[in-house]
Amino acid sequence: MSASPSTQTRRDWKALLTRHEMLLLYVLIAEWLFFYFAGTTTNRRGVVVGFGTLDRQFDILRHSCEIGLLALALTPVIITAGIDLSIGSLLGLCAILFGKLWHDGGLPIPVAAGLTLALGALAGGLNAILITALRLPPLIVTLGTYSLFRGLAEAITHGAITYTDFPASFLFVGQERWLGLPTQAWIFLGVALGVGLLVHRTTFGRAFRTIGFSPEGARYAGLPVARRLALVYVLAGLIAAIAAIIYTARLGQAKADAGTGYELFAITAVVLGGTSIFGGSGTVHGTLLGVAAIAVLKNGLACLPVVMRMNAAEEMSGLLTGALLLLALTAGVLPKILSRFRARHHAPAP
Amino acid sequence: MKRFFRELSVLGALAAVLVGMAIFAPAFFSPQPLLSLLTREAPTLVVACGMACVIITRQIDISVGSMFSVCSVCAGLLAARGWPLLLVLPASVALGALLGAVNGLLVAGLRLPSIVVTLATMVTLRQGLNLVRQGEFVNLPDRIQWFGLSQMAGQLVLVGASVVFLVALALAMRHVAAGRFVYAVGTDAEAARLAGIRPQLVTFLVFIFIGALTGLAAMMNLAQSPQVQPLSGAGLELKVIAAVVVGGVAISGGRGNLWGAFTGLLLLACVSPALIHLHIEAYWEKAIQGAIILLAVVADGLRTRRLNR
Amino acid sequence: MSPAPLLALRQLVKNYGGVRALRGVDFDLQAGEVHALLGENGAGKSTLIKVITGAHQPNGGTLTLAGQRVANLTPSTARALGIACIYQQPALFPDLTVAENLALRLEATSASSRIDWPARRARAEQWLARLGAEISPEAEVRSLSMPEQQLVEIACALGAGARIVIMDEPTASLTQKEQRLLFAVVRDLRKNGVGVIYISHRLEEIFALADRVTVLRDGQSVGTHAVGDIDEAGLIRLMVGREVAQIYPAAESTPGHRVALSLRAVGCRASGVHNVSFEVRSGEIFGLGGLVGAGRTELARILFGITPADSGEITLHGQRLTLRSPQAAVAQGIAYVPEDRRRHGVVLELSIAHNLTMAIHRRFFPTTWLRFGAERALALDFIRDLAVKCAGPDAPGGSLSGGNQQKVSLARWLATKPKLLILDEPTQGVDVGAKSEIHKIIRRLAKEGLAVILISSDLPEVIGMSDRIGVMGGGTLRAILPGGSAPHDVMAAALGTTERGAA
Repeated sequence: MSASPSTQTRRDWKALLTRHEMLLLYVLIAEWLFFYFAGTTTNRRGVVVGFGTLDRQFDILRHSCEIGLLALALTPVIITAGIDLSIGSLLGLCAILFGKLWHDGGLPIPVAAGLTLALGALAGGLNAILITALRLPPLIVTLGTYSLFRGLAEAITHGAITYTDFPASFLFVGQERWLGLPTQAWIFLGVALGVGLLVHRTTFGRAFRTIGFSPEGARYAGLPVARRLALVYVLAGLIAAIAAIIYTARLGQAKADAGTGYELFAITAVVLGGTSIFGGSGTVHGTLLGVAAIAVLKNGLACLPVVMRMNAAEEMSGLLTGALLLLALTAGVLPKILSRFRARHHAPAP
Repeated sequence: MKRFFRELSVLGALAAVLVGMAIFAPAFFSPQPLLSLLTREAPTLVVACGMACVIITRQIDISVGSMFSVCSVCAGLLAARGWPLLLVLPASVALGALLGAVNGLLVAGLRLPSIVVTLATMVTLRQGLNLVRQGEFVNLPDRIQWFGLSQMAGQLVLVGASVVFLVALALAMRHVAAGRFVYAVGTDAEAARLAGIRPQLVTFLVFIFIGALTGLAAMMNLAQSPQVQPLSGAGLELKVIAAVVVGGVAISGGRGNLWGAFTGLLLLACVSPALIHLHIEAYWEKAIQGAIILLAVVADGLRTRRLNR
Repeated sequence: MSPAPLLALRQLVKNYGGVRALRGVDFDLQAGEVHALLGENGAGKSTLIKVITGAHQPNGGTLTLAGQRVANLTPSTARALGIACIYQQPALFPDLTVAENLALRLEATSASSRIDWPARRARAEQWLARLGAEISPEAEVRSLSMPEQQLVEIACALGAGARIVIMDEPTASLTQKEQRLLFAVVRDLRKNGVGVIYISHRLEEIFALADRVTVLRDGQSVGTHAVGDIDEAGLIRLMVGREVAQIYPAAESTPGHRVALSLRAVGCRASGVHNVSFEVRSGEIFGLGGLVGAGRTELARILFGITPADSGEITLHGQRLTLRSPQAAVAQGIAYVPEDRRRHGVVLELSIAHNLTMAIHRRFFPTTWLRFGAERALALDFIRDLAVKCAGPDAPGGSLSGGNQQKVSLARWLATKPKLLILDEPTQGVDVGAKSEIHKIIRRLAKEGLAVILISSDLPEVIGMSDRIGVMGGGTLRAILPGGSAPHDVMAAALGTTERGAA
């Protein structure tokens, strides 16, 4: 039967300490320390520059908000054993729509922002309808919308238009600090809290997990599978829109190529964080750690003198992130493969 | 007849577009631009053939664009170093096959989802290439251009070669057992295993195959311009997947053929010049591409639903 | 007197864990003979087939093929030795043509060999013509009906040169015309010296087609007779033979008179159920008996909204029900504990507590906010109530034994406080101890006023537990018998040999 409370608690703590997220935390700390020592120097004037400065850390925070938001958006999707390749393109489209609504439409910033959020959710709704009502595979649907959304962004801007000259009050969101942290960090934390609660503390999250482990089992339990799936894709669209607004505020401009390539970083963050690509298991705090690991990697590389000399920060981070994703995936399936290997080479008892 | 309804409907759509072009923009059919179009699309056709095989086995490969770039640059560097064409070509194909083997190992060996694996290899390859080359072009020696022939002759060779390849592969898919294994594995890997086929091996080989084809396509592209741009191959995967899916190859595996992929490719290739001739700006291309993919998939989905009712 | 039999089984024993599926079966098959195999569910027929086709190894006894002892059969060696089995679910490639399917199964092709399509087509045509089947070799298997797919499977067997063909309920989904076709095929096989093992519940078929019939009961062969030497009644006697020796908890109260569930002419074309009418009263255990394929699970799926009815009326406590989805069914008070525990029951990766509250999200967590403490308490309650042996409410579903998984599955549905509880094979694969506990729980539920439909293939269980027994066959309700009826009567009704449609 169940163990006594004290041994159970001790066992729980031990399990907690070796769980995936804890291991990732150790890696994150190690990574941070590495970049701290390798990437921080004192310049000629005796000022500390590089990775170890507060400015740099805040920069990391700023840069990681957008990818972090996309990773948060992807977490419920992947937990349901689905995928959404279109969120990076949707970020670009929403950025453009936001710029257009404000610039050409003359709408005040808050209204434009609200409308953009609605449009983002609507775009997510397109994915949702195709996937739930028509039972189409999420892979090809989001591959199609990946192209469609980016294409629409390019078409609307004629490939050339960039929206700039946003008011300072808006840029505050992306470039200034509020209560000690970069403004967008607060938004990010808010969304992280929301998604975290949704996934871990509500029946919706339970349903996501069940659907990911066993879609048929979820159906036979009377869960509204189609509605829940629709929710994760609409939510992803909404969050991508939020990320688009923050992106625009940070850069001070809205361009059609916003968010290009972000889906890789987002998916890597989610998988690194321990969410299984096959669905069912995954945590939001794991995703946050994964985002942190990638953000530190990306920005830390830019601080290394050797990388700075080569001027290859972006390439290095992309390269390493891709390799990291492969490693994380392999590590994820390794236990399964080892047990299968063992089973085949040990005669099974009748 | 009924069996190939999907492929025939794409052919019908292509015919409709061509008729439309004939009426509204007859300039499209002038021989030189048409030949140029077909020549430009010849490498894409080769890769599309490989992609059709991959998708029929119920996998996907979005790293072909990056593989294409890597093979192009490496082949270009070898050529610039003085290697003869006869060695550069197989080198490019071999490199492509090697890259494809990495994908294949991860997907078939570790049973990882191909979408995520090829997403990772796509970015790793692209960024690795950028890191090494820093965006530098590779200037190609003249003897590579059009294989040393005149432009017209070179174009005809490329177009002809791609068509011959298409026909040969289509026949092989139908008349060689290995081709049928591909269909069997894509339809029902477990039943295939019980019938004596090895699904993991088939999957592994299919990824090597598309890698090799990408290497070949890279060479075909090399012969068309005086230098290799590092961005060559960008967007190739989407173009090819769109062509194949539009042409009737089902994402769920087991269905479709190369003729459909060919027709789909032609249909999509007409979109860009059609836009020009219809005076629609070119930046609508990506959106239309995405819309076409979705329409094709929705049509397939509706048809399946009606069949299963 | 007769030559060595094609296949001879002597004292075959097969155990699965603690369950003795075959306890010394004797069976032989002559060349050119149609030998029927009869037995109720769980008698050991499918286990016997698995042993003959090499899917499972016997634990004892001998298997002799044409005079040669054979040991360590595998599916591929069995196939090579000429043993073929036609299952109810054909294992064909849906997207490929008939000709290609046949070729893939029958030809051992190397990867580089050239395919001769005309030859393939001709060969397919040849085999299909032998069967008299009007199927084009170019047809996609996906477009064929189930009976047509079965004929293709038979063509596969023929093409493989099988000497022993096993047919498992082949006529279950065939029309009259297709059945006659099949009989002609079987007779043709017999003429060619093939030995056919014919498993069927349709006694009229057995009498029409078979030369001999062997009856299995509780893992043993209880009689082999020439078809002319025995009659229906005799067969049924052999099938049910023993006394209902097990003790079932007695009904502690008579069910009330209030009608809970009422079905009138309910049917669903897609699942083959038609014209089912009966009533279940509150506090009554209504057993649904019948043989495999009778349509009981299909009826349950209609009631649970998985395959909605397209005809008839379903009423629960006077309310007309529209059951378009499981969600709707649950909302209207119906609970279904499914037969396929692995796929539709307990989600193995989730904890017991999570599994328990899976169907009551709306009621238990009204604000959608999860209440772990309350959930844990509920889980502990049920664990105690149903005596679930587990390591605690947080243990994953996969750590439980079959019987305990079943209890958790049951608990999940009890938590919904349903008005109608449908149990589909609740004690299948469950050990004796847990079985008895589950029976007691079911009785208690009935006593508390719940209307229960108990689907079971275990004849003693259905007879011992039910207040009334609805016997289904061929997709419709054949008879309603009182609880405690003689097994003979129930079996006869299931086989459709007594008066039809007693209400």
